[in-house]
Amino acid sequence: MNPPFSFSPLQLPDALEPLRQEVRSFLADASSQWSGWKIGHSWTGFDRDFSLEVGRRGWIGMTWPAAFGGHERTGLERYVMVEEMLAAGAPLGAHWFGDRQSGPLILRLGTEKQRQHFLPLIARGEASFCIGLSEPDSGSDLASLRSRATRVDGGWRLSGRKVWTTNAHLCDFMIGLFRTGGPAEAEKHKGLSQFLIDMRSSGLEVRPILDLTGEGHFNEVTFDGVFVPDDMLVGTEGEGWAQASAELAFERSQPDRYMSSFPLIPLAIDAIRDNAQADRLAERCIGGALSELVILREMSLSILGQLEDGHSPAKEAALVKDLGNTYEQNIPELVRELLDSAPRIVPDNKLSELEGFLVQTVPTFSLRGGTREILRGIIAKGLGLR
Amino acid sequence: MSSEMNISEMLAEQVNRLLGATVNRDLRVKAENGMLDSSLWAEIENLGLTRAMCSESDGGADLRWAECEPVMRLSGAHAAPVPIGETLLASWILSSAGIKVPAGVIALATTRFAMDGQGKISGRDPGVSWLNQSGHVVLIATDSQGHDHVCLLQTSSLPAPAGLATIDRQPCATLECDGISTVQKAPAPASTGELGVLPYVATLRSIQMAGALSQILSLTIEYANTRVQFGRPIGKFQAIQHLVASLAGKAAAAQVAGLYAARQIDAGNAEDGAAIAKSLVSRYATEACAITHQVFGAIGVTDEHSLHFYTRRLWQWRAEAGSDHWWSGRLGKQVLSQPGSHLWEFVTKAQPATTLH
Ligand SMILES: Cc1cc2nc3c(=O)[nH]c(=O)nc-3n(C[C@H](O)[C@H](O)[C@H](O)COP(=O)(O)OP(=O)(O)OC[C@H]3O[C@@H](n4cnc5c(N)ncnc54)[C@H](O)[C@@H]3O)c2cc1C
Repeated sequence: MNPPFSFSPLQLPDALEPLRQEVRSFLADASSQWSGWKIGHSWTGFDRDFSLEVGRRGWIGMTWPAAFGGHERTGLERYVMVEEMLAAGAPLGAHWFGDRQSGPLILRLGTEKQRQHFLPLIARGEASFCIGLSEPDSGSDLASLRSRATRVDGGWRLSGRKVWTTNAHLCDFMIGLFRTGGPAEAEKHKGLSQFLIDMRSSGLEVRPILDLTGEGHFNEVTFDGVFVPDDMLVGTEGEGWAQASAELAFERSQPDRYMSSFPLIPLAIDAIRDNAQADRLAERCIGGALSELVILREMSLSILGQLEDGHSPAKEAALVKDLGNTYEQNIPELVRELLDSAPRIVPDNKLSELEGFLVQTVPTFSLRGGTREILRGIIAKGLGLR
Repeated sequence: MSSEMNISEMLAEQVNRLLGATVNRDLRVKAENGMLDSSLWAEIENLGLTRAMCSESDGGADLRWAECEPVMRLSGAHAAPVPIGETLLASWILSSAGIKVPAGVIALATTRFAMDGQGKISGRDPGVSWLNQSGHVVLIATDSQGHDHVCLLQTSSLPAPAGLATIDRQPCATLECDGISTVQKAPAPASTGELGVLPYVATLRSIQMAGALSQILSLTIEYANTRVQFGRPIGKFQAIQHLVASLAGKAAAAQVAGLYAARQIDAGNAEDGAAIAKSLVSRYATEACAITHQVFGAIGVTDEHSLHFYTRRLWQWRAEAGSDHWWSGRLGKQVLSQPGSHLWEFVTKAQPATTLH
């Protein structure tokens, strides 16, 4: 009669309150000039100056060793900082991928030299990372990827094409997954390796891909014999698949998987109050949205606790991402139901810009980081369906 | 605290063993015909289950809600046709008010009654679970000065109304009091606020629903792995896998929500916890029932199959002690009474203030 998943509660200690207040008051100042459109970008919005300031305050690489520019704080402290940032829709993109993904990967599997070099740069907000996984013919079926790294004197030459690479046109480095072994048909999950790639390398070309909002936030990156020195291989040659999968499992349950639309709710509440629309429908919808948020947060905290204890709750993390993505996708529709806003984006109107941006952007929430269908497959297998 | 955690785990294991060995179709049908199985009930009392949250002077183990959550959840997971949860909760309320806990089944009313100058009780609760099978009933009554009292009544002093038809067919009847004397009464503890015992019953139901949801998840997985169509188990079809994954999400969230509400009670914040849990779990139960019946096909809606013992309870419980709509509305009203900037503060303060460990 034991449920097939584990979610023991994690309590954030009161001692974290000063940190929360510190981040909150920093954001109260910093956010005064942010437009609704900018807030909508949240953790994908690229603002180098903001990231430098966040780095100065010690909020990047918070849990890393001081020897690598980190701040030796706990995962719980990082969580509090992150959720405050997301609640405000802060533009984290210039450091987010390094802080969430690439830095931890380098810390875990990088060479001493890689750690010494890259981690302090990330922690200061000076080095931005992008993630080079997807290719034109390899999306969900990532392991079928064909971009190749060929051994040459002193290193590797990369050739092929990556797509949908978020912020590649603004980033300094990419961690890219390339085939180093036999062809995809022969050894699909084997023979993949991860490389640290300088985005200024010759032979590397970045071409923005406009998205439906009219912006070019993601890119096509072509590699035409790009040289990568030997010491820029990350981890073990041929182990790239396992390394990249572990990375994805860690990021799946974090607050960015359920809070991307959060900033819209407080603005909607104010509008409902101003328009005297606080009727029974509004009460039920807002109350329902609040209860889901509180419980998603409890679930996310539980997974954080399990990770801190050295477990790897992959199935649970996939469950939280699936529930969380659905939640953040529903928010703009809920607000539309309550406010019935005109289909116009009113300049300088925070609510209108944010709603307009999110309506067009939420479809991506259940694509990026593993599609809903792929996640549900992972969950079903984890539950014992074969 | 660790020794208490052990009592809690031990208790859960005993409940699991007892209910696993005894609860079957016959017993469930018997309860649907208004009869409590007295030998099962005797075993439950012998284990001290119903007094687990009472003080030691009442023969209890003084367990906190979070420690009793597994027992409540298991009563839902086994679709146990016995009022374990109701009696556990009623006993805890009596014990907290300093009233000696009587033996036997104790029912619990959730509406507010009135107490006159002579201490006589009047009022009505349209539906009290297991009322006709209980020796006593606990209710909250307000006196003419506006003070609340926890009151213990003997059911033999009450009119015996006919049972009500409900979706779960568990015994339930209307409680009518017109100047009835109490066996005992005491000032209500501060923990019974404006809503009386409603948040506690809502928490109990949320936890029981989490148990039922986890059980239908297990049944659904097992069925998907064994039912063969088109030459293979239906669990091999991706459409079915995705339904099951979605069901798992609802069940997991419900379990987290139920325990969350229990922790909130332990932290002295019963109402917010109940509002969040009951609104979420009731809503998710609706979606989960639809999924499980879809996966089971026609066999799942037969009387013979046990699935309906769970889904009918879920449809019943989602509406009891305040539905998802009622609790969401109440929560939303509270949120909308303040500027939007308060919402995030509410969320970050929504963790229970004290811990188990
Ligand atoms: C905004 C955004 C930012 C992104 N940023 C990055 C980035 O920085 N770096 C990067 O590497 N990638 C990035 N991606 C790419 C993302 O990882 C892919 O979109 C994702 O892996 C899905 O691949 P695809 O888009 O090719 O869709 P496909 O894999 O072609 O899928 C199309 C549809 O088919 C379904 N499908 C596919 N396979 C199965 C299956 N086995 N069973 C059932 N259904 C299936 C999918 O769920 C989906 O509904 C980004 C994507 C978006 C939208």
